[in-house]
Amino acid sequence: MNVIECRGLSKRFGRTVALHDLSFSIKENTITGLVGPNGAGKTTLLKIAAGFLRKTAGEIKVFSSPPFNNLKVSANTFFVDDNMALPATLNLSETLDAARRFYPNWDHRLALRLFDYFSLNPRQLHKNLSKGMKSTFNMIVGLSARCALTIFDEPTVGMDAAVRKDFYRALLQDYLQHPRTIIFSSHLLKEIEDILEEVLLLREGQKRLHLPADQLREYAVGLRGEEDTVKRFTAGKEIYRREQFGKNSIFAAVRNSFTKTELQEACAAGLEVLPVSAEDLCIYLTSRSRGGIDDVFNRN
Amino acid sequence: MKPIYLQLSEWLETEILSGNITAGEKIYSQYQLAEMFNINPATAAKGLNILADEKILYKKRGLGMFVSPEAGEIILRKRREQVRARLRELVKEADLLDISESELITMITAARKRNKEERA
Repeated sequence: MNVIECRGLSKRFGRTVALHDLSFSIKENTITGLVGPNGAGKTTLLKIAAGFLRKTAGEIKVFSSPPFNNLKVSANTFFVDDNMALPATLNLSETLDAARRFYPNWDHRLALRLFDYFSLNPRQLHKNLSKGMKSTFNMIVGLSARCALTIFDEPTVGMDAAVRKDFYRALLQDYLQHPRTIIFSSHLLKEIEDILEEVLLLREGQKRLHLPADQLREYAVGLRGEEDTVKRFTAGKEIYRREQFGKNSIFAAVRNSFTKTELQEACAAGLEVLPVSAEDLCIYLTSRSRGGIDDVFNRN
Repeated sequence: MKPIYLQLSEWLETEILSGNITAGEKIYSQYQLAEMFNINPATAAKGLNILADEKILYKKRGLGMFVSPEAGEIILRKRREQVRARLRELVKEADLLDISESELITMITAARKRNKEERA
């Protein structure tokens, strides 16, 4: 079953196109990573799915219904980001108690344990927390709510590396025990790719790629070496990135449609065959220029 | 870098080869593996399915996956083939550097001796 289904979804803010003709679906009980550069439309998409924003055109269904102004969707969806509207007068412990009454699957024991583990002060007010502590608290509420659709929009803002690691682990553990549909937008693909089942990559409001996460790192391959040799081996292939490297050498990242023998031949011809990480692939696939930032500094 | 599900299936093979999991025994579930290696359970399932396709594991409906009686044999055969393939690569490189066959054999003998010493 699909929890989210989009067909030709578009969203405009005045003249700005935030999402354009987006079609995809998200299966029940999967963890999906939503990635893409700043301004690609990630937050807009998540807010439409959560029912916070109205679409402009196309179709979106969450739990088989249009999400905007929909009680069923909002009861089963939890949206975590860094400006969650929490009651300003309640302290953290009171906020947990209030959240508990809202969500039927709420696990209060988990909430208190996480609260303890991350040494939060129950009497503190949310607005007085540091950026990282705020994110930590929001993450605790998001996990403990155990909503059938849990959306994390950049949940790790301000968290230090140790807390981020703990969070990913907590998310996976809780998901294994209580499978549910989780969407996770992040700029730190390297940190989260292992716990993802699928990756949805957006560029300029459009879908660039939607693949099982473990296929991303095999999707492209890098060849480095003498320019003519690289060109010979990459002829007719889709080139994602091309960088000058020393005097006569270049690096080219291309779609990995090589056979094993072809790659061995490339090695034998003196080329280095390099893996292209999922993170690099996503950067290559969404950058505006094939040479990257170096194009700014290249005068020729 | 190798995809995670391949790393996982190789780890499981090594567990079987070293006798930590024996023929007929139940192997870890995709959820146990996901927890152990901090990976998505779908990725773990891929690793298990590779071994099932190669008849190293077999499925029992509703019970999970088990190590097949021929598992050790199949893994050994596969690993030997991998050694042969790597050896071919090595020989190719040696040819490129004009290393003679006898010199290569001397190198292998020396490497084996050193590994033995390190283990002792």
